[in-house]
Amino acid sequence: MHREEAKAVVIFVTPFLLGYLMFEALPMVSAILISLTNINSLSGLRDLHSLGFAGLSNYAKALSDGPAMASFGRSLLFTLYYVPALNAFAILLALFITRSFYFTKFVRTLIFTPYVTNIVAVAILWGLLLNPYGGIVNETLKLMGVSQPPMWLYGMRTALPTLAGISVWKDVAFQMIVYMAAIKNVPSELYESAEVDGASKLRQFLSVTMPMISPTVFAMVVTSTISSFQNYALVRTMTNGGPGDASRVAVINIYEQAFEFNRFSYASAQAIMMLMVIMLITVVQWRAQKRWVHY
Amino acid sequence: MEGAEAMGALLSKARISKLGMTVVMLSFGLAMVMPFVLMISASFKFSAEAFDDPLRLIPKRINLGNYAEIFHHKYYFRWFLNSMLVAMGVILLKTTVVSMVAYAFAKLHFKGRDTLFVVLMTAMMITPDSTIVARYMQYRYMGLINSLWVLIIPSLFGVYFVFLLRQFFMGIPNELSEAAIIDGASHVGIFTRIIIPLSKPALLTMVLFSFIWSWNDYINPFVFITPVTTQVLTVGLQSFQTEYAVDTSLQMAGVCISLLPVLFIFVFVQDYFVEGIASTGLKG
Repeated sequence: MHREEAKAVVIFVTPFLLGYLMFEALPMVSAILISLTNINSLSGLRDLHSLGFAGLSNYAKALSDGPAMASFGRSLLFTLYYVPALNAFAILLALFITRSFYFTKFVRTLIFTPYVTNIVAVAILWGLLLNPYGGIVNETLKLMGVSQPPMWLYGMRTALPTLAGISVWKDVAFQMIVYMAAIKNVPSELYESAEVDGASKLRQFLSVTMPMISPTVFAMVVTSTISSFQNYALVRTMTNGGPGDASRVAVINIYEQAFEFNRFSYASAQAIMMLMVIMLITVVQWRAQKRWVHY
Repeated sequence: MEGAEAMGALLSKARISKLGMTVVMLSFGLAMVMPFVLMISASFKFSAEAFDDPLRLIPKRINLGNYAEIFHHKYYFRWFLNSMLVAMGVILLKTTVVSMVAYAFAKLHFKGRDTLFVVLMTAMMITPDSTIVARYMQYRYMGLINSLWVLIIPSLFGVYFVFLLRQFFMGIPNELSEAAIIDGASHVGIFTRIIIPLSKPALLTMVLFSFIWSWNDYINPFVFITPVTTQVLTVGLQSFQTEYAVDTSLQMAGVCISLLPVLFIFVFVQDYFVEGIASTGLKG
């Protein structure tokens, strides 16, 4: 029986483990190695004789590369727009969707439609609607008497918040479902006794719901912060970093360095730096959770 | 008597608030899909009047020409087919590979099992962007670039569903498999005849998510595939948009068709989908 189990382990684990080592683990290791070498041209990719160790020079170069550092700053700014808006909106929606109403399934399907839509479709759609010249949104705003409606994706100041807003619209359904499950798990006795104490609905939300769902809020803030840095598809399809450099976030810069200028090692170094920034933020969030998360 | 009346008043009050909530939620849901409503409407209009009168949702003259034109487009259905092939390949292979390893993590005993699991979970934090250059170089050396396989094989080994399925398999009582072992069944037999049939909800969740992620993937085909005939629908749609930059109605029709498979599946199995997010999102 033990031999049978040992044989089964080999059969069941091997396909996944080999694939994982090959396609997940190996790229992680080589990403670091590549960032320490000098493959910064297309010919460098083929000609292995010119391959050389570059130490941390790619990293040092990135740190003094103004546009690269600015792109990191824009990524952080995007996170600051996206994460609070997404989570606040999702919690609000979850509060509503856990109440009783008719056509629950239909409404849920409506809310989920943006989430299951591909990013190019989203880009084409919002690109047309938000077109500053003749797009529906601004035409409507003009009819309502707004003389100078925003430039949205074409504005230097509005491009990044608009992208964050579209992203919230697209992703909110997922977060809403998770918060919905958490809110449903709050024991109803807690609300009943709060009711007896004469607590208002707002008071109940702040002193019962929020503390009870705070572990979920924490988990969602951590995961949405991590995913907020992975916005290449969103930005590439909608503004490609423009207008000017207004929405040129870190990933746009990294992919461009890699696949337009073929500075593979340099791009890899910047990608590793971004990963380190994400990890640092996650660690800070873990440290800070004691203050507000109730388990 | 008085109690019954009070009860009746309360009931109708609850009913009114339920009706009120329905109105609020329906309006909100409609607001969320407003862009899609305008899109569908525009796809049946003539381009010149696509957004002239957006509030006229049912066009004056219904134009099926946009859809006809897509039907005759050189590449559109090629891209559609490629996307479908990739999604089917991913679903078939990923379900097999991932459910097998999840079975091992849930039901088999081997040295280092739990450590390995924790390592895999921790490695999930590493974002795909950080390895994009390494993956590009690796796929080049392996000859995967510009083949649809590059969208299938590397996406089979995601840890996310190993976690989901392991949790689900662990909930299946061991007594079932122990009885089967006494009857002389092998682990392969237990897996295929007991565990898999009992895990339909979890497997269906995985199939759904895999389909949606694969169908909507943009970055991988954009970076790893160049030939127009090997391209998939997301990136194809982008060149379609450039090709018909002035013809918004046609673009809208193209977008509409690209959403159909996902919406179709979603409408039918949304309960599993919601269940899947609620259970994994919480723990993950």
